[in-house]
Amino acid sequence: MSKVKPYWLLGLIGILAVMLVPIIVFWPKSARALDDPWAAVPKHPVHVPHNDIIAARFKEVDPATVTGPDITRACLECHPKAAEDVMMTSHWTWQGPEVEIPWRNGEKVAIGKFNQINNFCISAAGNQRSCTSCHIGYNWTEDNYGANLNDPANVDCLVCHAQSGYAKGKYGNPKDGTNLIAAAQSVGAPTRLQCGKCHFNGGGGNGVKHGDLDESLYYPSESQDVHMGRNNFVCTDCHVTTNHQIKGRLVADNLVIDPAEQVSCTQCHNANPHEDERIGLHMDSVACQTCHIPAFATEDPTKVSWDWSTSGQDLGDDHYKYLKIKGSFVYQKNVQPTYLWFNGSLAYRYLIGDVIDPSQPTYINKPAGSIEDPQAKIFPFKLHVGKQPYDTGFNYLLAPITAGPDGYWTTFDWDRAFRLAEERIGLPYSGSYGFTETWMYWPITHMVQPKENALRCNDCHGENGRMDWQALGYPGDPMQWGGRK
Amino acid sequence: MKTTVFHRKTLLVTGLALLALTALALGVSQALAHRPAVATPQISPLHPPFALLDSEGQNVLQSGRAISTMQTCGQCHDTAFIESHSFHADLGLKTGGGLYGKWDPLTYRYLSQPGDKRLDLSTAEWLMINGARIPGGGPATTSRSGQPLSEIAPNPTNPEAAILNSATGQPEGWDWSKSGVMEMNCFLCHLPQPNLSARAEEIRAGRFGQANTATLLGTGWVERTPSGFAYNPAAFGADGKLKAEFVRIQDPTNENCAACHGEVHVSNPEPLLVSACDLNYHQTATTGQVFAGQKISLSGVNLQGKQNLNRAWDIHAERGLQCTDCHYSLNNPAHALSFSAPGHLAYDPRKLEIGEYLLRPDHNFARGQSAQFTVAPSLKGTMRRCESCHNAVSTHSDWLPYTSQHMSVLACESCHIPQMYAPAIQSYDWTVISIEGSPTRLCRGLTGDDTVNNLVTGYQPVLMQRTNIDGQKLLAPYNLVTTFYWVYDSANGPRPVREIDLKAAYLSNGQYASEIVAAFDTDKNGQIDPAELRTDTIEKQAAVAARLEALGLENPRIEGQIQPYSINHNVAGKGHAIRECTTCHHENSRVTAPLQLTTYTPAGVMPQFVGDTNVNLTGEIVSGENGALFYQPVTIKDGVYVFGRDRVPWVDWFGALAFVGTLFGVAGHGTLRYLSWLKRPKHQPVLKSVYMYEAYERFWHWLQTFSILFLLLSGLVIHRPDMFGAFSFPHMVLIHNVLAAILILNFLFALFWHVTTGEVRQYIPNFLKPVGIINDMVVQIKFYTIGIFKGEPHPFEKRREKKLNPLQQFTYFGLLTVLLPLQMLSGALMWGVQQWPQIASWFGGLPFLAPLHSLIAWLLGAFIVGHVYLTTTGATPLEAMRAMVTGWEEVESEHHHS
Repeated sequence: MSKVKPYWLLGLIGILAVMLVPIIVFWPKSARALDDPWAAVPKHPVHVPHNDIIAARFKEVDPATVTGPDITRACLECHPKAAEDVMMTSHWTWQGPEVEIPWRNGEKVAIGKFNQINNFCISAAGNQRSCTSCHIGYNWTEDNYGANLNDPANVDCLVCHAQSGYAKGKYGNPKDGTNLIAAAQSVGAPTRLQCGKCHFNGGGGNGVKHGDLDESLYYPSESQDVHMGRNNFVCTDCHVTTNHQIKGRLVADNLVIDPAEQVSCTQCHNANPHEDERIGLHMDSVACQTCHIPAFATEDPTKVSWDWSTSGQDLGDDHYKYLKIKGSFVYQKNVQPTYLWFNGSLAYRYLIGDVIDPSQPTYINKPAGSIEDPQAKIFPFKLHVGKQPYDTGFNYLLAPITAGPDGYWTTFDWDRAFRLAEERIGLPYSGSYGFTETWMYWPITHMVQPKENALRCNDCHGENGRMDWQALGYPGDPMQWGGRK
Repeated sequence: MKTTVFHRKTLLVTGLALLALTALALGVSQALAHRPAVATPQISPLHPPFALLDSEGQNVLQSGRAISTMQTCGQCHDTAFIESHSFHADLGLKTGGGLYGKWDPLTYRYLSQPGDKRLDLSTAEWLMINGARIPGGGPATTSRSGQPLSEIAPNPTNPEAAILNSATGQPEGWDWSKSGVMEMNCFLCHLPQPNLSARAEEIRAGRFGQANTATLLGTGWVERTPSGFAYNPAAFGADGKLKAEFVRIQDPTNENCAACHGEVHVSNPEPLLVSACDLNYHQTATTGQVFAGQKISLSGVNLQGKQNLNRAWDIHAERGLQCTDCHYSLNNPAHALSFSAPGHLAYDPRKLEIGEYLLRPDHNFARGQSAQFTVAPSLKGTMRRCESCHNAVSTHSDWLPYTSQHMSVLACESCHIPQMYAPAIQSYDWTVISIEGSPTRLCRGLTGDDTVNNLVTGYQPVLMQRTNIDGQKLLAPYNLVTTFYWVYDSANGPRPVREIDLKAAYLSNGQYASEIVAAFDTDKNGQIDPAELRTDTIEKQAAVAARLEALGLENPRIEGQIQPYSINHNVAGKGHAIRECTTCHHENSRVTAPLQLTTYTPAGVMPQFVGDTNVNLTGEIVSGENGALFYQPVTIKDGVYVFGRDRVPWVDWFGALAFVGTLFGVAGHGTLRYLSWLKRPKHQPVLKSVYMYEAYERFWHWLQTFSILFLLLSGLVIHRPDMFGAFSFPHMVLIHNVLAAILILNFLFALFWHVTTGEVRQYIPNFLKPVGIINDMVVQIKFYTIGIFKGEPHPFEKRREKKLNPLQQFTYFGLLTVLLPLQMLSGALMWGVQQWPQIASWFGGLPFLAPLHSLIAWLLGAFIVGHVYLTTTGATPLEAMRAMVTGWEEVESEHHHS
C-alpha cells in the first residue's frame, strides 16, 4: 500500500491547486503599484561608541591644552580620508562649482559667500569673526580670507559629530573653556541637533532666514513636519550623505543646480502617488511642496522683512521688532508662501559689485522658470524684503563690516564700516550711501505637513484661492480657463 | 429669529473688520505690501451701463420713486418671460404645491383660503413673514385669480386684501396701493452683495414696494434718507445711466443662493459657523446640509471628533462647483442637456445663441426630485445628477463586488453622504406653546438646547426607498421631521388651529391660564416645568381642547405628520464614503438603521407620513421608552435583500435542526454500533480486494468534497458576518463565487464522464420496478436499524459495477438531480443578479432565492454528516474512506440475499 501513497498526495495537491489557482487569479489586486517610501530611507548603522577610544588616545593629556586641530588629527588617525572628503564639499569651500554668469558676459564665477551678499546680515566676507561661528573650519582670520582652508587639521569634526558639550566661538574656533576631549568622546552620526545648530539659526537667530527651518524642528510635532515629527527622520535621511558629500543645495546661494545634486520628494515617493486622477493632473505644473507645505514658520516666527536704515538708534531693543545694531524687523508665524514658477535654478543671483537701480526693489535672487518653461513648477517661497545700504555713487549694494571692534555693531558708523570693507574685501566705497529695497526668495521645502493638511482644490481655485493666477501667467483660474498646454 | 441671525452676521462682520483694522494698525502687513498686488476681478466686464427705471418706466433720477426691476431690467431682457418662467417667482401660485399655499407645520401659519371664517395668514402677512426668503413676483405681485394685487381694494373678508390685527384678533383691510407690491428682484441673485437685511426690514414692515430699492443699499446707487431712499447722482452719468464702475451685475453665486436656501460658506479661511435648526437657513435646518468647501476640521462648529474630519463639508464645493452648475437655467446653451436629441446624434448643435439666451433666460432652474419640494413637479429630475458627470460603474467596479447590483439598489448619496455634521430639526410640537408663543422644538445631532455653543454630534440619516421619475427605486438618505399640532373643523374643511387661537387657549395676560396650569402642573409646584409642557395625558389634552372649544373651534384634536427631507448635498469623496462591506452586510446594517422621530408622543397620536412624496413608506413606526417613536426601515419590503443582514428565521431554525438532528442521529447510531460490536463475538469476514474507484472518480469526488466544504464555510460567513467578524466579507464572497464555479464545472465534467462511461446507471434506481426499489430499500433500512448491530453482513454486495446500495442509490439520485442542481441554480441566479436582475426576478428575486439557497446549504450540511458516517459501515470503519483515496477496497466476499 505504501507504494500508492505519493499518488494520493499528488491528487490532494492537484485538487487544492484547482481550487486555489482561480481564487488567486481573481483575488482583488491593488490597481496601483505599491508606494513604499520606506524602501529608500537609509538604514542607520549602529555607531561605534568612541568614549574609550578617545579616552585612551588622550590619556596623558590635560584637556585645557587640547585644541580643535589636535582633535581633528586624532580623528584622522582612524579616518584618514575624512578631512580630504570634507574639504571637497561646499560646507568647506563655501562656494559652488564655477558657472557662467549671463549678466557678466559669460564670465565664469564660482558663487560663494565671498562674492555674494544677502539681505540679512549682508556679507560674510569680511565678517569672519562672527559668521564663522557656523563654518566647519578652525582658525579663520579677518583679512586673509580662506587661508585656513588648506590645512586638513582645520576641519572641525566636532561641530557635526559631537553629540554634546560643544559650541563654536570666534573665528571658527571652539568656545573658550570647552572640554574638547569630552566632546570628542560623544561623537556619533549627526542628528537634527547638530545640523540644526547652524541651519536653524541662519541669519543670526532662530528661524531668521529660511522660514521652513527653525529650532522647533529639533523636536517637531507630527503636524509641523510629518517626516521629522511622525517618523523621526534626521536630516541625513533625505540629505543622503556619502563620504561627507551631503546631497541637497540651497538655491538661494547658487545659480544653477544640477537636479542630481538636489534632494527631492521622489527619492522615496512615486512621482504621482495620488489615487485621485484630478490631483494627478497637477503633477506637471505643481511641486509637491506647494500643496504639502500649506504654511511655513508654523511654530516659531520667521523674519519677513529687515530694515537696516533704522539701525543705530536707541529705540529700545525687542528681538522681534527692533535691535539697535540691526534695525527694524517684521516677524511672522504660520506664513502663507509666495508662489512662483521654479525650475530648480535661479535666473539671477546678486554678486558683489552688480549695479542696481535703486528706484526699484533689487532681486538678491530670482527663481528661474515661467509658465512657458516645461521644467518649471509652481513652487512655494518665502519672500524676505530687506532695506539695506547701497553706494549712491557706484550704485551697488554695500557690504559693511559689522563684527569686530571696528565694525558697525560696535561703532554704529556706516562710513567706517564701508571703508573697512573696502580694505578687507576690496569693494570700493564712493563715500556716500543710501538704503534700497531688496527681495530675496527662499525655497520652502521643509515642514511638510501630514497629507490631511495638504491644500485642497478650493485653497487655490475659486473665489478665495491663494494663487494669483494672472501673476503666474495664466489668463485666469486654470480650473475655468484651463492649464498650460 | 431672523433678527438674531443678522445680528450674528453683523457681529461677525464687525469683529472681522475690527481685526483687520488692528492688523493694519500694528503694521503686520508692511512686508506683504510688497507682494504683487492681486487684481480685483471685474465682476461684470460685459454688462453695459443701464438706467434705473420706476414702475412707470421713468428714470428714477427724475421721479425719485422706487426702482422697478421689471422696467429696469426689462429694457434689454424679457422680464415678463423671466417671471413667467420661474418657479422661484411662482412658488405654487399657479402650479400649486409651493411655499405659497402648501402648509408647512414648521412655519405653522396657514395661508387662509377664500371663505375661511377665521383669517390666519393673509397674502400680505404671508409676504411679511416669508418675503425675505423669496425673490418676489408671483404671489408678491399677483392674486390667485391672476389680478394684479395693486388693483385689489382693501377688504377684511378677502384673505388677499386683509391682515389679521394681532392685538384685536380681528381682520382688517390691507391697502396694496399703499404698501406697494414686490416685483421679482433680479438684484437679489445678480448682485455680489445685495443688502439682505435692509430688504428684509422693508418687507417685515409691509413696505413691499420699497424692498427692491432697499436691496441696492451699499451699491452706491442709492442711499437711505430719513424719509426713504435717495439716488446718488454721483453714480450716474450725464445720460442718466449708471456709470460703468457702478455696474456690478454677475451670474448668481453660491452666496446668492445661500441667501434663501441654507448654510453656504465660500470665504474659505474664515471658520464656518452653523446656527442649529435655524429656519432662516431652511435647508440646513431641516437636514443639516451645509454646502462648503472648507474642511470640517477647520470649521468653527463645536463638533464631536472634528479633528479627524479632514474632509470638506461637500466635495463638490471643495472642487469649485457652483450651485448653478447642476441647477442651471434650463435653456442656458452652455449647460442644457439636449433631451430631444435623436439617438443617432452624439451632440446637437442647434442651441440658443448666447444673445437669444440673455434676452429670454429661462428662470426655471433644473431641479432634483426631492421629497419636500413639490413646486413645479414637471421639472423634477431635470438637474445634473451624479451620473450626469460621473461614470459610477467604472469607478467602483475595481473594488465593489456586484457593482451594478449595488447601483440598482442604492442612490449614490446613500454611501457618499454617510453622516450629517450639522444638527437638523427632529420635531416640532405645536400642541403646546411656551409663554413666548413658540412650540417645543427638538434638534437631532445636538446635545442640549443651545443651538450655537453646544456640542454637535451630527446624525446618520435614515435610508428610505424613493421612486425616481424614471421609475428607478433607490435607497437614499433622509431626515424625518415630525410635527404635532391641533386641528379643528371649519366650514371649508380641517384647518390647523391659528397661532392666535393657540395663544388664547394657553395664555392669559402673558401667563399660562389657570385651567392650563391646573392640568399641566402634574407635580403641583404651581408652575409648568418644561417636562410638564407636553400633551402626554388625556387630561392635558382635554383641558386644551376645552379652551379651544370655548374659542368656538369645532372638534379640536391633535394630529401629527412626518415629512421626509431628501439629503443630496454634503457629499463625501471616495476616501470618506462608506466602503466597508459590513457597514451594510451585517446584523446591525446601516441600511436598516432606525431614526428617532420623537422623544414622546402627544396623547398617543401616531404621526402620519405626508402623502405627496416619492418616498416608499415600507418601514414601521415603532415605540420606544416613554412614548419615543422611531422609524424602522424594513428594506426587505422594498425588495432589497441584504446579505449578512436579511434572513428568514425559520430557514435557519429548520436547517440547524436538520443538521444537529443528523449529528445526534449518527452519534447515537455509532454508539450503539460500538456497544453491540463490543458484546459480539468477533469473526474475521472473508475479504477480497476490489478496484472500486477509478482515478477520475476519486478526483471528482474529493474536488467536490473540498469545494462544498469551503462553500459551506464561506457561505456561513456571508450569511452571518456578525458572527464571523474575523473574516473579510468581500474576500469570502470572492472565494464563494470561485468555488461555486469550480463546483459547477466539476459537476458538469463528472456528468459527462458518467454518461459517456455508462457509470451513470449506477445512480439511477430501476424505476421500472418500483416495488423492487421499495423492497430493496426496506431491506437496507432493516440492515442499518437492526442487522448492523448484530454483525450481519451487508445485504447488498458492494461491487465495482454496483457500488451503491438501494438506499444510497435513491439518496444520491435525489441529491444529484434535485438538491445540488437547485443549489447551483439558485446560487448562479443570485450571482447573476448583477448582470441579469430580470432573470433572478422571474424566480422571485433575492428575497426568495437567498433563503432557498440557505435552506439547501443546511440540508447539504446534514447530508454530509450522514454520508461521512455511513462510510464507516464498510468492512472496517475506515475502509470505504480509504478506498475513495486509493481506489482499492476490501469488501466482504460472501453475502446473503434475503
